[in-house]
Amino acid sequence: MNASTTAPLAPDAPWVVLKFGGTSVATEARWRTILELAGARRARGARVLVVVSALAGVTDALKSLCGSAAPERLAAVERLVERHHALVHGMGLAECAGVDRWLASLRVLSQEGGATADAATSQPLWQAAVQAHGELLSSALGAAFMSANGLPTRWLDAREALLAREVPFLNDRARALSAQVQADPDPAFAAALAARGDVYITQGFIARDGDGRTVLLGRGGSDTSAAYFGALLRAERVEIWTDVAGMFSADPRQVPGARLLQRLDYDEAQEIATTGAKVLHARCISPCRRARVPLLIKDTRHPDFDGTAIGPLPPEAAPSIKAVSSRRGITLVSMETSGMWQQVGFLADVFALFKQHGLSVDLIGSAETNVTVSLDPTENLLDSDVVAALAADLARICRVKVIAPCAAVTLVGRGMRSMLYRLSGVLAEFGRERVHLISQSSNNLNLTFVVDEGMLDGLLPRLHDLLIRAGALRTDDATLFGPTWQALYGVSDSHVHAPWWRAARTRLLDLAQATPRYAYHLPTILERAQALRAMRSVDRVYYAIKANPHPAILRALARAGLGFECVSPGELDAVDAVADARESPRLFTPNFAPRAEYAQVMQRGLATTLDALHPLQHWQELFAGREVMLRVDLGRGLGHHDKVRTGGASSKFGLPVERLDEFLELARTHGVRIGGLHAHLGSGILDASHWPVVCGQLASISEKIGNVRVLNLGGGLGVPSHPGEAELDLAAVDAALAEVKRAYPQYELWLEPGRWLVADAGVLLARVTQSKRKGALEYLGCDAGMHALIRPALYDAWHEIVNLSRLDAPADTLYQVVGPICESGDVLGADRRLPNSSEGDVLLIAQTGAYGESMASRYNLRPLADAAVIE
Amino acid sequence: MNALADPRDARAFRCVRCGYADGVAELAYAFDDGPELIERIRFPDAPGLAEDRKVVFESALRMLHLIAGVSYYKAGVPPRIEVGTGPLDASTAELLDALYVDGLAEFAYRNGLDLRGKIAFPRAAVPADPGLPSMGREGRPRVLVPIGGGKDSLVVVEALKAIGSESTAVWVGASPLIAGVAARTRRPTLNIGRELSPVLFEYNRIGAWNGHIPVTAINSAILACAAILYGFDAIAFANERSASAATLEYDGQHVNHQWSKGWAFEQVYAAWLRTHVAAGLDYFSLLRPFSELAVTRAFAKTGAAYFDVFSSCNRNFRITGPKPADRWCGHCPKCHFVFLALAPFMPKPRLLQIFGGNLLDDDTRAAGFDALIEYRDHKPFECVGEASEARAAFTALAARPEWREDALVARFREEIAPQLDAAPLALEPWLEPAGEHGVPERFAGALDAIRRA
Repeated sequence: MNASTTAPLAPDAPWVVLKFGGTSVATEARWRTILELAGARRARGARVLVVVSALAGVTDALKSLCGSAAPERLAAVERLVERHHALVHGMGLAECAGVDRWLASLRVLSQEGGATADAATSQPLWQAAVQAHGELLSSALGAAFMSANGLPTRWLDAREALLAREVPFLNDRARALSAQVQADPDPAFAAALAARGDVYITQGFIARDGDGRTVLLGRGGSDTSAAYFGALLRAERVEIWTDVAGMFSADPRQVPGARLLQRLDYDEAQEIATTGAKVLHARCISPCRRARVPLLIKDTRHPDFDGTAIGPLPPEAAPSIKAVSSRRGITLVSMETSGMWQQVGFLADVFALFKQHGLSVDLIGSAETNVTVSLDPTENLLDSDVVAALAADLARICRVKVIAPCAAVTLVGRGMRSMLYRLSGVLAEFGRERVHLISQSSNNLNLTFVVDEGMLDGLLPRLHDLLIRAGALRTDDATLFGPTWQALYGVSDSHVHAPWWRAARTRLLDLAQATPRYAYHLPTILERAQALRAMRSVDRVYYAIKANPHPAILRALARAGLGFECVSPGELDAVDAVADARESPRLFTPNFAPRAEYAQVMQRGLATTLDALHPLQHWQELFAGREVMLRVDLGRGLGHHDKVRTGGASSKFGLPVERLDEFLELARTHGVRIGGLHAHLGSGILDASHWPVVCGQLASISEKIGNVRVLNLGGGLGVPSHPGEAELDLAAVDAALAEVKRAYPQYELWLEPGRWLVADAGVLLARVTQSKRKGALEYLGCDAGMHALIRPALYDAWHEIVNLSRLDAPADTLYQVVGPICESGDVLGADRRLPNSSEGDVLLIAQTGAYGESMASRYNLRPLADAAVIE
Repeated sequence: MNALADPRDARAFRCVRCGYADGVAELAYAFDDGPELIERIRFPDAPGLAEDRKVVFESALRMLHLIAGVSYYKAGVPPRIEVGTGPLDASTAELLDALYVDGLAEFAYRNGLDLRGKIAFPRAAVPADPGLPSMGREGRPRVLVPIGGGKDSLVVVEALKAIGSESTAVWVGASPLIAGVAARTRRPTLNIGRELSPVLFEYNRIGAWNGHIPVTAINSAILACAAILYGFDAIAFANERSASAATLEYDGQHVNHQWSKGWAFEQVYAAWLRTHVAAGLDYFSLLRPFSELAVTRAFAKTGAAYFDVFSSCNRNFRITGPKPADRWCGHCPKCHFVFLALAPFMPKPRLLQIFGGNLLDDDTRAAGFDALIEYRDHKPFECVGEASEARAAFTALAARPEWREDALVARFREEIAPQLDAAPLALEPWLEPAGEHGVPERFAGALDAIRRA
């Protein structure tokens, strides 16, 4: 430690509270980090209080010890003795009197056991006393280690400072194991500590009751302790050091593009913690709010990351939704009656029944004739007959309906009501499904939708994206929103290829002499084709040429050994027109094609897919004695994620699987063999785990049909478009399919990718024509519009747009990039940051190799964009 | 490869030979002089075969060969069956005749065939039984429990735990779903490999007959071999009373989709094992005296460890995934039935969590549930319980406040129930064991465990 550590502190030096969890105190290396962080704060002139949890796993061990018989208790204590002694030595301490003292007292306690004359009251208190030893030990160890390493640190017994308050209605168990503390700033206590030392270490999780006995603070107890101490000392701030940089705008496991929330006010933080985020326990916010002490969440392994600062609201911030979160496993009780709600005491009777059955209500929605409430998933709810008993009681006074499993999706942000007008897209997303309950709290902080739980899959990333696009989640405000989770913790950028067009910039600028023009990079396509061919579990790959039928691409893919999937005679002709492709296998997979097309194709003997009964009912002679492929629609399934949205009654594709028997009967009657079963899994699937289940369903159906030899999984391989999105892990898909193949060895597996092969290989080049300012918006016009690229207008597709003429200039202007078509929807990219651009600059619209040129039109009688190929 | 002859034109199906070495049984068949179809059964970590077990094993293996032949025979259904592994006595030949006719009844119905009177395994006067060695039965029973990933076998696993049997969970073929369920049994596991002949797939490609086969009979024969090989003295299946019911009658023939799970097959195969393999080898279904409802009730009470891994869905019986939709399609008759049959016995929120949704609160599934209760429709070709059990379950739910307002329960209450005879709709009678069963005395405690669960 340097000299400044020991320089005396001013009498009014501020306090900083640092809290570390179980994994942060379990090894010598982690203790070095604590030492450094505490030392640095002391060096900067602050008094430091370190709050620690028990070593990872110790609290659980103590808990299970409490439920064991005496001999096992003693054995468990000896294991804890061993573990702590090992760490004492590992940390370079010859011995540690503090640790030995608490180990000795733990031995005594566990010998005594919890049973005394009044077992009911003493048992929870005994458990509290036993479990408190985890923190007593870790803090004693820390005090010795830090003092021995140049930072004199005093050990403070948290029970001296934290007194549990009397809460009416709490039972003995809750009083001993989930106590609450009233922590208000106590200058005398702070002064007394300051008089004795500069750096302290104390225990999280524990306090004393009015009789001086040890009690525990329950779940999230160490964070709560840190908040209590922060309030008592009126600290400059409380730092919660954990294993993630802070709170995010969504659960990063579901939304890798979730943004780090750099600043939150107390209420928002509390709301986010309550409705989903696990990083911080909601209980620890209110003590800090009352004392106006800011909280800071930081990542122990990455102290350089900014973290989340929770404090008073920064006044200059624009209203923004801060987070979208979800909770699963919710049960709704809907109660319906006519006219009764107006009766005095009716609601009181209803809620009395909930109380009587020990059920606590969370959300409430009410109307003239209906009140619906939500219940959180507790073991009691899932494994006892409480719901049946409650429903029986309620049924006497109203009509009851129990709806489950539901999920609550909550948008959190201060001033929610002022943002409603921006949420139309979000509401539309919910509008497709059954929304059981909408709740908007009077604190104006949240908006909650309760929907079927099955709807949740894939919903959060979509909502997050919609909220950003709607300008409701203002990720453009860099004071509020930090980097994405993916950028902080995901695959580092070095693993992601720089797009090919960066290296080909000069060539592309040259090609942009005539615009709009597509450019296709064949090496990128071939690389993709090779990756597909290398999949061991896939027997054949057909390129879905509708994505891009450019002859050069067909030639390259034919040479790479792929077959072709065509959906019209025109597409078959396009393949025939390429000499190298004439011998390639091909598949005819039309949808609602007329009889003549089937007749023509069957005559040529090409593999043909049917997806309806009609052809076999009315055109039997075309198929009699022949083999066909059958496309089935596996239906909505229970999950109903976006990935199967091409399934279900609202999609025109596929034979509904319920009508399979009719199809088989027709096939038998006319001697038609079903050689393969085809199901489209959806599109844009980036999650490898999606494949085996659907493939397994197809296989089990095929076994019942017999004679099937091929399972065609269609396309659907996703291409990430937004920065930071992870690529589809092809090796994982391969491994997942290999598992299916082991279970169903008799089937060949086919894939029909389109977009995956060509999207990244294509760019659209356009030139800036002019710019225009309207109100707050800056429009940037270019000569490519929806006639050249319709995906943004048609699918809300997001394509990266760069100014190729000023590629590495700072992107300082927010543009609406638009085309020349007379349609207000002719927007290629909304809210794009680009360098200040001028007429004649070349814009590059990326990932346009698929469904770009092939969907282009001459709308407004503008000429078609042409295409150039880069070999 | 030379062009394969269409097996449907063959004159004879030949059970050519079978053999066993180093943990692998090879079963060879052919149509006429066509290529051999070789099926391989792999017994993992099989111990060496003791000298005194060899004769017994040989007998079980020969029967496996002839029973498993049904998968191949059906590709061509030729007029003659030849057996190259020695003469069959009358009882063996009769068992096989019945298996090929009744076990393939659905296959025949589906393909417009009629196998009655067309199957005759060759039989000869065989010298009297040389006297079978007895299987050791010291100590606690050692039981093989075939599991399929669904609830029934798990009820058996838990009932056998309750009486302290040494059971091993066994399954045939690769299945991540079953492996996941097996791991939850906290019992030793045994996964026997089975590779069908690839030539069969070739035949299928050129249009061979195809369809449902009596797979439980094949698995039974495989497990009989396994029992001798690994030293088990009992095989406890999980087929209920309703498995014996015909799914439909067609041209005077009872077609039972799950014939080899029925009581008729159980009796004749158990007797055959006692007289031809080992008197001490018990083969039985522990669930035989129970209804589907009694079994689902027992599962609701004893199966908590499996709630998030089991699946009885017929669209997916081998692959698994973490989400309910990965295990339950929600649309097939099995999903409908298991949901309905568990509902009276399980807290509603828990059941809905298992399935990830409420199948009874969805109008679009009305037709599926109508089929279950034989309302406007006949019984579908799946392994589901009797319609009256489904009706009893519906009736129970219609009286339960937490269920009665759900769309399909309300519909049953208002539209269907008034048309039904109220007498047989009570739930309780279904919960009592009844009817014949072959559960040996030493497993009687397990029956009680199921009844009292």
